[in-house]
Formats: sequence, structure tokens, C-alpha cells
Amino acid sequence: MTGEVPDDVAAVNMKRIRANAFIPLAPEEDESQHHGWCSVEDPMDIDLDHEKVFFNEYVCLGLRIDSWIVPKPLLTAHLRTAEAALLERKGLETIGRKAKADLKLMVLKRLRKQLVPSTKSIDLVWNVTTGVARFFSQSPRMHLLAQELFEKTFRLALVPESPGTAAERRGLDARAEKLWESLEPTLLVEEAS
Amino acid sequence: MTDLVERIERNRFVGREFLLWLWFESHLFETTLSPSNGSTCALWIETRMSLAFEKEESVLKSVTPAATPEAREALRQGKLPKEARIRMISNELEFAWVFKADTLGLASVTIPAQLKKKEDEAHEILYERMRLAEELEATLEALYSDFLSLRLSEVWPEVVSLLRRFAQGKKVDERAYGELKRQVVVKKRRTK
Repeated sequence: MTGEVPDDVAAVNMKRIRANAFIPLAPEEDESQHHGWCSVEDPMDIDLDHEKVFFNEYVCLGLRIDSWIVPKPLLTAHLRTAEAALLERKGLETIGRKAKADLKLMVLKRLRKQLVPSTKSIDLVWNVTTGVARFFSQSPRMHLLAQELFEKTFRLALVPESPGTAAERRGLDARAEKLWESLEPTLLVEEAS
Repeated sequence: MTDLVERIERNRFVGREFLLWLWFESHLFETTLSPSNGSTCALWIETRMSLAFEKEESVLKSVTPAATPEAREALRQGKLPKEARIRMISNELEFAWVFKADTLGLASVTIPAQLKKKEDEAHEILYERMRLAEELEATLEALYSDFLSLRLSEVWPEVVSLLRRFAQGKKVDERAYGELKRQVVVKKRRTK
């Protein structure tokens, strides 16, 4: 993490954490996925307060991602029935592209009412003293979601770990810095002379 | 922003060289590693290792994949270790994890936690796990620091010669390497 951490992290950020807490998905919405903060102990708990988030020097949050997953064969079957009904009602032979897309969304929303969204929660633990945030997922897509939400919430940038950032954290002197910038990969296969 | 991306992306290959160096030291010193800013630990590669060069990858699965002839063969083909499952014992604590060299990322981490979910307070469990995770990271950071000192020193070409012997399965002069390392690490300590 880079940036200036305020002295009283809890007082400064609690309101923003609550503002970025997870909001449950509703079947009528156009969006098929929501993400936001939840309690690290219980992903279903999105009513966050100081006790659920701050543990001494650690800020602990769950990144909850809910998505509607409608099985494709189910959607296809319902869409076919809805298309046939529409054609009959309107006395048409074919449906336009836009009408087809609208119909698909309507069928999706209707099917969602019979389903439960798929829920995923990934822990994020940020040590405000050392500045290290640990995110317990290897998925690049999840990293992006966490990074974006963290920056929006805490107004601090998360810098992913890499050999370069670790070298910088160690502190290189001017000579080493220059060498680092012109480093070439080591070849174990000797080039034929 | 470009600067930040550059900082992250620059010299990603160093992660694979670091993993190669860990393997080399573990082999040379019979698993005993002594980071200059940390306590001595036992570290070795177990069960799984992958080595890659561009899009070519060799995945080795065995009890000690680093000791297989295929591992050295992959090095001779110009591949470097990209990912490995590592076990480490430090201060009588045993850790295991999958090390992802390109990102220095740790996955599937096993820490020697004592507290149990049902019996102990949630925050006590968290503090214990974080303390252990930080201990593991501190050891890795100390090892990476030593590796960087060597990598960015004038003795690196000599280390590469030894690494080549290692790749060819030839005997590596442990004392010669120890001397090279001492020159750099002692110099680093003095300048601090």
C-alpha cells in the first residue's frame, strides 16, 4: 500500500467502509453482479461496525461478490417459450434484435426470482502499521476488484507485490538502483561462441 | 501511473532467479539457509515444481521434485523455476506454501497455528495467524534481501558460473560460493 495512513484510521474510514458495504442483488436489476465489503467472520453480515472491522492494528474485511448464475439450458428453454408467446400475441413471424434482447432480460429477471445468487467472499487483512495488505485470492480479476474497492474506500493505493516492489521496499542505494534498472535475465545455457 | 506499473513490471524475471537461488542454496547447504537479517531455517522444495522458458513449461511432481534429473535438464534447456511448493522450518515452526516466482506470491499457505476456530476467540485466532504469516514473510524478505545483494554485486557473474555447474549436475564448490557470499553480505552489514 502507498500513501499516508491517517493516525485514526477507524474514525476517518468507518463511514466510507459502510458506504462501500455490500448491497444485495435484486432480481429486477439489470446488473448481474454486485461486490462490496462484508464482515470477515460472516459474509452474510453487511451491517459493519467498528468491532467487526478493526482488530488492533489490523483492518479486516471480506470482499463479497454475488452473481446471478442462470443455467444456460434453463434460460434457452424459457426464452424459446417466451418468444413463441410473443410471436403469437403480436401475430408476427420474427422478432427484431432489440426486442429479442429485451425479452432475454425480462426472462432472466423472472428466472432470477426462483434462484439464489451465488456468493463468494475473500478476506482482506490490512496491517495499518506496516502498510501490508494481504488478500487471500490469486485470481487477477479478484485482485482488480479488491484494489478498486480498497482505493475507493481508503483513498490509498494498493501496489501489488512483485520482485520490483520488493526490491524498492528493501531500499537500493544509487549504485544498486542503477544496476537494477539495466538488469538482464541470467542465462544458465552458455551461448555458443 | 506509468511509473507505478513500471515499478511493478520491471525485472519480473528476478523472481524466478530468486527461486532458483533458494533451490541452489537449499541443495548446497543441505536445506539449511542462513539469512543475514533473520534466523537460520531449513527450507526445501517438495511435491511440485514448474520450470518455464517463454511458453514452454515442465511440471514436475514427486516427493522431491528438485532432486529429479528432469529438473536439472529443464535448467539446461534454459528454463527457470516459476512455481514451487516449499516447506520451511524456522524457530521450530513449520510452514508450507506454493511460491509463485513472478509475483513473489504465496498460495495454499500452511501455518503452524495452535488456536482452533471453535474453542478460541476469533480475534485471538486472527492475531496468531497474522503473527505467523508475518514471521514467514520476514524470513522470505531477509532471504530476498541477501539474494538481491548478490544479484546486484560484482560477484554475480561468478555465482552464475556456479549456478551453471549446478544445472549441469556437477559438484559445486561450497566454500568458493560461501566466500563470494560472505564478501557481499559482510560488506552489506558494514555499510548499514
